[in-house]
Amino acid sequence: MLKKTAIHQLSDLTSALMGKGTLVAPVREDAGFNFREISDAKQVDLNFHNTIISPKSVFFPQTEDFIRYRTGRPLQEAETVEPEGKPLILFGVRPCDVKSFEIMDIHFSCTGAVDPYWQARREAATLIGYAFDVAAPAEPEEFYQTLGIGAADPEGSDIFMVRRGDDLILKSITGKGEALLAGIEGLAGASADDGKFFDDTVAAGRNFKTRFTCVDAKAITKKLEDLFHNTDFWEKASNACLSCGVCTFACPTCYCFDICDETLFGRGTRRRVWDACMFTDFTLEASGHNPRTKVYQRLRQKIGHKYSYHVRKYGVISCVGCGRCTRHCPVGIDIFSIVEEAMKA
Amino acid sequence: MSFEPKILGIACNWCTYTGADLAGTTRLQYPQNLRVVRVMCSSRINPSFIFRAFQLGADGVLVGGCHPGDCHYNTGNLYARRRLAVTKKILEFAGLEPGRFRVEWISASEGNKFAEVVTEFTGQIKALGPQTKFKIS
Amino acid sequence: MAVSFQQIEEKLKTEARRLLESGQVSLVLAWGRGFDEKHPMPYVAKGASDVDGIVFNEFCTHNLARYLVRYPRGTKMAVAVKAADSRAVVQLIQEDKVKRHDLVILGIPVYGIKNPKTGEIIDGKTTCGLYNPVLYDILIAEEVHGQPVSSPYAVLAEYEAMDQDARFAFWKKELDRCIRCYACRKACPMCYCDPCFIDQNKPKWGEKSPETPGNLMYHLTRFHHLAGRCIDCGECSRACPVDIPLYLFHKKVAKECEEMFGQAAGMSIEDKPVLVNFRMEDSDKILE
Ligand code: SF4
Ligand code: SF4
Ligand code: SF4
Ligand code: SF4
Ligand code: FES
Repeated sequence: MLKKTAIHQLSDLTSALMGKGTLVAPVREDAGFNFREISDAKQVDLNFHNTIISPKSVFFPQTEDFIRYRTGRPLQEAETVEPEGKPLILFGVRPCDVKSFEIMDIHFSCTGAVDPYWQARREAATLIGYAFDVAAPAEPEEFYQTLGIGAADPEGSDIFMVRRGDDLILKSITGKGEALLAGIEGLAGASADDGKFFDDTVAAGRNFKTRFTCVDAKAITKKLEDLFHNTDFWEKASNACLSCGVCTFACPTCYCFDICDETLFGRGTRRRVWDACMFTDFTLEASGHNPRTKVYQRLRQKIGHKYSYHVRKYGVISCVGCGRCTRHCPVGIDIFSIVEEAMKA
Repeated sequence: MSFEPKILGIACNWCTYTGADLAGTTRLQYPQNLRVVRVMCSSRINPSFIFRAFQLGADGVLVGGCHPGDCHYNTGNLYARRRLAVTKKILEFAGLEPGRFRVEWISASEGNKFAEVVTEFTGQIKALGPQTKFKIS
Repeated sequence: MAVSFQQIEEKLKTEARRLLESGQVSLVLAWGRGFDEKHPMPYVAKGASDVDGIVFNEFCTHNLARYLVRYPRGTKMAVAVKAADSRAVVQLIQEDKVKRHDLVILGIPVYGIKNPKTGEIIDGKTTCGLYNPVLYDILIAEEVHGQPVSSPYAVLAEYEAMDQDARFAFWKKELDRCIRCYACRKACPMCYCDPCFIDQNKPKWGEKSPETPGNLMYHLTRFHHLAGRCIDCGECSRACPVDIPLYLFHKKVAKECEEMFGQAAGMSIEDKPVLVNFRMEDSDKILE
């Protein structure tokens, strides 16, 4: 099904979507764009390149409560927080981020250990993807094309959107998407010409240029394994690294978390909070021993995990080239430049 | 119902806490809104105690120590004076009402002063009303 | 005289090469190429062959003093510093984190460094607004003079004029945005504690989750820890991915400290940090 709407009528579309479930979409905030739950249809703003934090936060929020209880022995009135399964519409996700959900699924639902919170939200969600502008050059940080992800790949989305001048063309990709699209009134039918434009954009997206040439995941995996003990290489790569959490928090495929209890006024919550392998205490053991005390060990872990260990174990690189880590790193560390250096080393 | 503030008192063992004792043994009347924590010296007070107290619902915080020059550890309160002055400025710039935090030097023999300060401070906090800004709800 | 970034780069390379070849230092902290022109990176040259990697341009914002504490005590290091960065080195010497005699300070007088995020020239609005290093062994360029002098505290007036409620609302809005990535403390040359108070579990000073209570605790305490030590380089705010204007709070605390104790941070290695110091004649007025 192919539909369209004028961009200036976007709020009609978003308000119709709000009638179908919780709408989460890009919103302009003080520091840039982020995906947020929408309370006013006019908040949605598609004039963004990409968001600061990836939309993983929609399925895997930075803080998530599991159990709420009264403190004391024995624990009283403990109750588990049930996973939410209410219909969710995730609107305006870029193709690289759509791809990231597939990678995250490996960890949260496909390896046998199922995370009910992730899964419930994921199943309840309808994904509306949004093509990058293939007529404009890519931003310098991005390299999704390098990893085989097109700038306008509709795969993985339920509905995919392409902007054509002042119009937004919407095409259903899955049955779920078709059902949603069919239920929205007031959308104009798209012409055959729009259909051709849509297909052309998708095709152009596959040839879109981002940094670097395409990569051979197997070769990288092997190379990074070989380089593991090359301390010189990793020290050089991490000389500037501050060991903060920006890159992992912004990343759509970083999934580490810590479980902690926060108690106050006799009430407690057991919750998970994002953690990051770049933090000094990430690997700190109860004995006091810390196997990764050096910055280079932590950066090696981050890059090795994404480009080597993950490939060996699950067959795919755990990176989608969205460029967020590079864009937000306070010292300009660029993950793929390090991979490139590694290949040359 | 009238507002009964919760006030955290942090008093050094050697002067203010003893002064409070004296106020008690001489049966001086003062409001019961103050809950006192004893520390060995005013310089033992980590400013985070004060931030946290406001988060946990204190309507006011009163720190008491020996008079400058009289600290049991000679110089503790001279450091504390500087440090707590900074604490006060930080609280104010963060938007907390200036009257909610006070430092007073009260010696072991100043039971009267202790009672007066507590009475006056309690009145001031009552006038300011409940502290809601930092309080975790 | 307009400062030429190219000349600074050349001079930095010359000095770095000389220092490394003569064995006077075992490493030089400078800037190097990043993934594009706009993003030079902190760079460490450990031998003469690394020297060609040194870069200097208008986007060299990073305060390299931050890296000094990373190397073992006694390591002979050269460090390239702009004005504020040199104050950080001074402050670290005061705090005995580095020894003066272990350092060769390459001072860079420069005006026109730009924030790569905004493209704006970095001046007294977000930093201390000095353009000449306060301490150096080798001056890399001629001192710059004639730049508009403004008080680094001028930017505070607007916030000081707010009433308490408005100011609280302002900070709440800003700090609520914090995602607790800790880039601010990691970029800060004065935040070198291991572990940082907020990472401690016993006692646990504040919540780990990025919500109002923990955020307030983390930031207020951090502002306090930086009292009289923050040299107003602005790195924390530039590092922040969600653009929280931390510099405003740090400036306010710095201003108060300067007024109360008559000393600005990082100006002289003879000074003692104000909060580990006192004078008998300190007045109780400061508590009012
Ligand atoms: S790579 Fe950059 S963002 Fe990541 S931990 Fe290092 S300094 Fe922080
Ligand atoms: S607090 Fe910020 S401005 Fe101050 S020294 Fe640290 S990084 Fe620089
Ligand atoms: S916030 Fe305080 S404890 Fe943490 S690193 Fe900075 S100075 Fe140290
Ligand atoms: S850098 Fe910004 S977001 Fe990160 S912890 Fe600091 S204030 Fe919070
Ligand atoms: S012992 Fe009373 S202030 Fe130090």
